Amino acid sequence: MAVQVEVSGAAQTAAGRTVFVYEAPVRLWHWINALAISVLAVTGYLIASPLPSQPGEASDNFLMGYIRFAHFAAAYVFAIGFVARAYWALVGNHHARELFVPRLADREWWAGMRQELLWYAFIARQPRKYQGHNPLANLMMFLMVTLGSVFMIVTGFALYGEGGQAGHWANVLFTTWVLPLFGQSQDVHTWHHLGAWMMVVFVIVHVYAAIREDIMSRQTMIGAIINGERTFRS
Amino acid sequence: MAYETQGFKIDNSGKRVVVDPVCRIEGHMRVEVNLDSHNVITNAVSTGTMWRGLEVILKGRDPRDAWAFTERICGVCTGTHALTSVRAVEDALGIQIPENANTIRNIMQLNLQVHDHLVHFYHLHALDWVDVVSALAADPKKTSTLAQSISDWPMSSPGYFRDVQNRLKKFVESGQLGPFTNGYWGNPAYKLPPEANLMAVTHYLEALDFQKEIVKVHTIFGGKNPHPNWLVGGVPCAINLDQVGAVGAINMERLNLVKSIIDRTQEFVEKVYLPDIIAIGGFYKDWLYGGGLSGKSFMSYGDVPQKANDYTAPNLLLPRGVVINGDLGRIHEIDLRDPEQVQEFVTHSWYKYPDEARGLHPWDGVTEPDFALGANTKGTRTRIEQLDEGAKYSWIKSPRWRGNAVEVGPLSRMVLGYLQPKQYPEIRDMVERALHQLDAPVGALFSTLGRTAARAIEALYAANLQQTQFDKLIANLKAGDSSTANIDKWEPSTWPSEAKGVGFTEAPRGALGHWIRIKDTRIDNYQCVVPTTWNGSPRDPKGQIGAFEASLMNTPVAKADQPLEILRTIHSFDPCLACSTHVMSPDGQELTQVKVR
Amino acid sequence: MSIETFYEVMRRQGISRRSFMKFCSLTAASLGLGPAFAPRIAHAMETKPRTPVIWLHGLECTCCSESFIRSAHPLAKDVVLSMLSLDYDDTLMAAAGFQAEAIIEDIKKKYKGNYILAVEGNPPLNEDGMFCIHGGRPFVEILRETAADAKAIISWGACASWGCVQAAKPNPTRATPVHKVITDKPIIKVPGCPPIAEVMTGVVTYMLTFDRIPELDRQGRPKMFYGQRIHDKCYRRPHFDGGQFVEHWDDEGARRGYCLYKMGCKGPTTYNACSTTRWNGGVSFPIQSGHGCIGCSEEGFWDKGGFYNRVTDIKAFGVESNADRLGGGVAAVAGAAVAAHAAVSALSRARSNNDKNPGGN
Repeated sequence: MAVQVEVSGAAQTAAGRTVFVYEAPVRLWHWINALAISVLAVTGYLIASPLPSQPGEASDNFLMGYIRFAHFAAAYVFAIGFVARAYWALVGNHHARELFVPRLADREWWAGMRQELLWYAFIARQPRKYQGHNPLANLMMFLMVTLGSVFMIVTGFALYGEGGQAGHWANVLFTTWVLPLFGQSQDVHTWHHLGAWMMVVFVIVHVYAAIREDIMSRQTMIGAIINGERTFRS
Repeated sequence: MAYETQGFKIDNSGKRVVVDPVCRIEGHMRVEVNLDSHNVITNAVSTGTMWRGLEVILKGRDPRDAWAFTERICGVCTGTHALTSVRAVEDALGIQIPENANTIRNIMQLNLQVHDHLVHFYHLHALDWVDVVSALAADPKKTSTLAQSISDWPMSSPGYFRDVQNRLKKFVESGQLGPFTNGYWGNPAYKLPPEANLMAVTHYLEALDFQKEIVKVHTIFGGKNPHPNWLVGGVPCAINLDQVGAVGAINMERLNLVKSIIDRTQEFVEKVYLPDIIAIGGFYKDWLYGGGLSGKSFMSYGDVPQKANDYTAPNLLLPRGVVINGDLGRIHEIDLRDPEQVQEFVTHSWYKYPDEARGLHPWDGVTEPDFALGANTKGTRTRIEQLDEGAKYSWIKSPRWRGNAVEVGPLSRMVLGYLQPKQYPEIRDMVERALHQLDAPVGALFSTLGRTAARAIEALYAANLQQTQFDKLIANLKAGDSSTANIDKWEPSTWPSEAKGVGFTEAPRGALGHWIRIKDTRIDNYQCVVPTTWNGSPRDPKGQIGAFEASLMNTPVAKADQPLEILRTIHSFDPCLACSTHVMSPDGQELTQVKVR
Repeated sequence: MSIETFYEVMRRQGISRRSFMKFCSLTAASLGLGPAFAPRIAHAMETKPRTPVIWLHGLECTCCSESFIRSAHPLAKDVVLSMLSLDYDDTLMAAAGFQAEAIIEDIKKKYKGNYILAVEGNPPLNEDGMFCIHGGRPFVEILRETAADAKAIISWGACASWGCVQAAKPNPTRATPVHKVITDKPIIKVPGCPPIAEVMTGVVTYMLTFDRIPELDRQGRPKMFYGQRIHDKCYRRPHFDGGQFVEHWDDEGARRGYCLYKMGCKGPTTYNACSTTRWNGGVSFPIQSGHGCIGCSEEGFWDKGGFYNRVTDIKAFGVESNADRLGGGVAAVAGAAVAAHAAVSALSRARSNNDKNPGGN
């Protein structure tokens, strides 16, 4: 299918126009993912730095167990969501593909990237308008969300498989090769933990950029991920 | 080259015999000697042949982790480096440990002394005195009579010795001699009758079984052995005698286990180890070579503080002090902080100093490797046939006390105790009893045999101290104090930006010190001066020889191609391993193979 | 009667002929051989001489040898006298001099391809290998020569398996684990500093009894002892799951035997048998005695940050920090940058609004 080149001034992005960008599965995935990441970040932090010691009998307590359960449950949601999202990239509209295939070979795309950088550096006075993600956002999404998720899923399930032990699906699929690749379990823990912080950084930047662009690029961002439609303002 | 130093005439003109490697605590060591026309040693060169760079590795690390690194310097005297390290860090940061922690550390340290001495004698040293093959010719009945005459140890029936002999016979007849292959069996330097040999071999096997019991004290308090766990500020094992969760801590059952091991250990040393030494020593008391520096210059830092946090001489149950130039009437005090007292030289060591004529105090120590061989070396850089002791020739530095080479170890400690009967009446008694049983004068102590006997005496002393330290622990618990760690200065944020400290112990092999400098919560400099550095040191700028080299001087060697005497004397220092050695003739040609008789 | 065989050893240890035959048929079955092979195996076990073992020492601390002689079942004595033929071991052997070196040559010739090489410690490669000199030559040469005709190699402990303390940064001697020097022989890694005594004798007796190498994991460790983490079988695990931790040394939690996770215990990342086999005849293991696991059977455990931190240091790009400090720092910087950027954005938007609407109508 032909890749649609979108540049500012094209008919589709004329002021007042509304285009349908994010299909329902994409929006649903976005919000589920946001929730999963929130749960994962908080529980993950508490697994590394647990809450103060609980009083009473060990048999009366299962706090770490519940925290870890929440982490694993959210991790399954996150991972299955990611797989479903990847599937949707195949069957959904072309916007659904952006996250997985940044148009690195496209010169126009790189020119747009330059423009975005200038825009963020307060040098360009106007951003270009895009139906989907602008090239900078696209690249960040690809690096942080796509590759970042793969990294977190692979390292995460490798660690999960340690508890599952030999024969457990995660152990077979991930633990057996990820541990030797990183050196040992402690290294995988450390990098997974660092990856979590990278996700937090992404969320901060992502939320900010969305709000900012919503206000300053005269196109709906937040609305778009809620109702799927992007409206361009003058 | 011929010169005189410390009362020895060094002359390297005779036939050169190379023994490599003679292993030291961590592994490998080399000895070269020159023999005169009567096969008497006129020059000895001892070389440490390995370097691992622990001091370099420690830089920049958390001082609280240092014990684990330094503990791995040696897996034989396991724990003593760790204890020295936590003491150094506590000294630097001004941490006071609880009484229980001090007592538990003492018990662990004493436990190591006994274990190490026992294993050293039976498994690393005994075969220098005991001819295994001769044991096959023994009469088990006579062996039983001999055993029963020296001890009331119950395992001494003729049937028992016959079983062991049969097993040994079967083993030898299998043709696969395992660790006994190609020993110097039948060498004229072996002097025991077959019955004594059979008794000793039997106890070799018994001790091998029993030694694993002794260390369980480490396992209880430190979780494992070798390499138990330690803690800056105390000990990691909490005590909980009678409250909820006591099964997760040191409780009555654990204490009972400690107590039973201490009892059994004491009994084994008293009824097997010490009587064996006296019995074997009786056959060798005319072979009093190997004294070296022992009667002249010797030193002990002291250890086993009775009260916690007081490391001064009057508080130490193992004596502290140094004797120089044979002046036994004067025991000098040691100050490990004094930059003039302990210094390390590298004139003959494979290290670089800015100015090599001068020694450096360990706080200012430098460890920068520099492997270079002297002009008179025979062979190549990676195929050394003969070293040049005129140049650098060892991976060991040369520590000196106020410029003097000294011997350290059990003999030094026992002699220092003997010289101070008021503070150490038990040591005096034990030494005198042993000398009486051997019918030997005090001077006989200053020999290879004396070193070996002093170790056995000290094993009993340490076993007894373990008992009294255990009683002290119980008394303190009875008084209601069960604390085991002081965490006031656990967090690095409570530390000064710069600090320096020194920690010492008496390792089984002798005086051990660690010097640490801490800067911005990290190790800035770390230097260990270990017992084998003192004993095995190469020469210093003045040409003074270390204890190993001195001990070999003037010893006659019965057979140059079976240097049993060299091994016997070197092993008497407990450099750890009954090692594989490589003997070469003066021109580097290998000597003829000697078959097992 | 010349050589004590397996059968005799087993008989002497109280195993009946009947059990022995059963053992042989089980062995045949587990080797995938038919029942007809059982008598053959029995015959081999009844007549086979003990397997020669050469035990070399490189840069090490001898803790592996010390651990080996702590074995309670089987006793080290029985292993050495009856199960294998420990023909060369620097630590225990009586021989010395050329006579000792001759043993290696002899074994290499007589048992070519049939002896086991056990290595304790590792070879340093800097200074032409002369940081560890053996007979005037670099240890690495001795290692290569002895490995050449060995049937299999056992890498004892953390040194031979991973490098251990002398290979900790900056590894001044370039101490190198055995598998990076010897690449053409089956190598069984038995890591730990030291390994548990009964694990060591367990691996050896397994090889002798079943005449095969135990099943190894991807990192070359026997699965039977290194297949699970200490955490998986730790008796303090209920306290971990319950969120009950030692917060400080010698606190109430320590006295009740709570989980040592917050004290930096590496049990959750360490594959070893400590929490089940335990140490020194099952008396205790580090966690039971109140100190966290330091992870001594894991690769490079010296360089994973402090032993007392749960979230350990990362040494990369010249910075030393842990994931929380690094990640948290980056997040804080990102937050501050976002705030600053937002402020500038607001300003520039206000200005451009003013430009568009001069006079403010």
